Amino acid sequence: MRASLARRSVLAAGVALAALIASPMVRAAPGDDPAEREARWQDLAHAVFGDRATQPGDAVIQLDAPIRAEDAALVPMTITLAGAPDGKPITGMYLIIDDNPSPVAAHFTFGPAADPREIKLRVRINSYTNVHAIAETADGALYQTVKFVKAAGGCSAPMGMTDEEAMKGMGDMRLKFAEGAAPGKSSQATLMVRHPNFNGMQMNQVTRFYTPARYIQTISMTTGDQKVFDLASDISLASNPVIGFGLVPQGDVKVAVSDSEKGHWEQTFSGPQLSN
Amino acid sequence: MRHFAAIALGLALIGATPGQVPEPDGLWQGPMRGYTPNTVAGGTVLDTAGLAKLLDAEKPVLIDVSLADVKPPSMAPGTPWLPLHRSIPGAVWLPGAGAGSADPQFSERFKGRIAELTGGDAGRAVVTFCHPECWGSWNAAKRLVGLGYAHVYWYPEGMEGWQADHEVAAVKADPAWAAENPPDK
Repeated sequence: MRASLARRSVLAAGVALAALIASPMVRAAPGDDPAEREARWQDLAHAVFGDRATQPGDAVIQLDAPIRAEDAALVPMTITLAGAPDGKPITGMYLIIDDNPSPVAAHFTFGPAADPREIKLRVRINSYTNVHAIAETADGALYQTVKFVKAAGGCSAPMGMTDEEAMKGMGDMRLKFAEGAAPGKSSQATLMVRHPNFNGMQMNQVTRFYTPARYIQTISMTTGDQKVFDLASDISLASNPVIGFGLVPQGDVKVAVSDSEKGHWEQTFSGPQLSN
Repeated sequence: MRHFAAIALGLALIGATPGQVPEPDGLWQGPMRGYTPNTVAGGTVLDTAGLAKLLDAEKPVLIDVSLADVKPPSMAPGTPWLPLHRSIPGAVWLPGAGAGSADPQFSERFKGRIAELTGGDAGRAVVTFCHPECWGSWNAAKRLVGLGYAHVYWYPEGMEGWQADHEVAAVKADPAWAAENPPDK
């Protein structure tokens, strides 16, 4: 009896340890203080969500990010949304880069024409950090997942060209549908927007002055008369944003982009055609 | 392609290749980000293992001269702005202390704060750092040598180099320094 009890508690300790090792906080750099990173997250969560609690949501939302990024100014993120356990539709998604000075990199609000199963975008990362992705459901519940990403210096990385070159064609857009896209049918698409997304932390290597911040603040997309998504973004979005998302196209797709210097651009794309 | 362009631009600007940047005569006044020399006359260059050894052996004063993040003025109201600076544990963060400024008041403030941090002991080891390819820490080391500090160390790999193998800690700007050197200056 006694022996089996002891064995059971050893087993329990083992399970607890395994859970601890599996927890993303422990994947931080050696010696990095997980408690400090957790405290940072609590502060952030409070700043963004107030008193609304976030719950662990690995079954609802997954974040795929490189453990070690090749280019900190261009770190690819893929967010997969599986749907809430209670069947409530997912109405929003937040991508939060804990250690960036302006941590909320993206906040999507989905409309009836969205099919938010997979979202891709590229961000800048300032320092080794946790990245949180949070799904919001229609009743306001918040599901979170987290990844630790090793990348540093992405916010101050100069673009390697003059500011004028970087701003050439600003506001140009392209929209590409994945193969097999058809009206009224859930399809993946990619939106590309030409914009340097200057974050104010990049020093112009010729003039030695900081390039003034000029970055995309909102991207709105509609198809037919229905909203696909509104995206509130910020200085953490990489230059020349490329955004992958799902939608149910209903005729033309209209995109409107606004930046922090009151730049505004709109473009209308033909939706996919029925093929015979 | 971006990298090639950045490197080509860097080369054109400073007329040097990595590993072959000559030491300027005085403080560096050029772009603060770029290839730095391999040496700082009168001081010792540390790699990560060297710094770890020095930290074990004695209690050097660690000076982080990284710049503070500046909030874009156009940021939408209500957007959380929560800058966080991570550094080598135990470091004193003096944002902007690596400036090449010839302003005598700035030089006095630098001299005064370092004297306080070293307890007036010019024999105390002092380590300067910021980020890789950052002239700020080179300048700070150069100033310390000029001020007569006998054991000046420069750690060019900076916070990013340290973080690859070691613990980093969130730090606030040194209050005494920040009061006299506001970041928006």
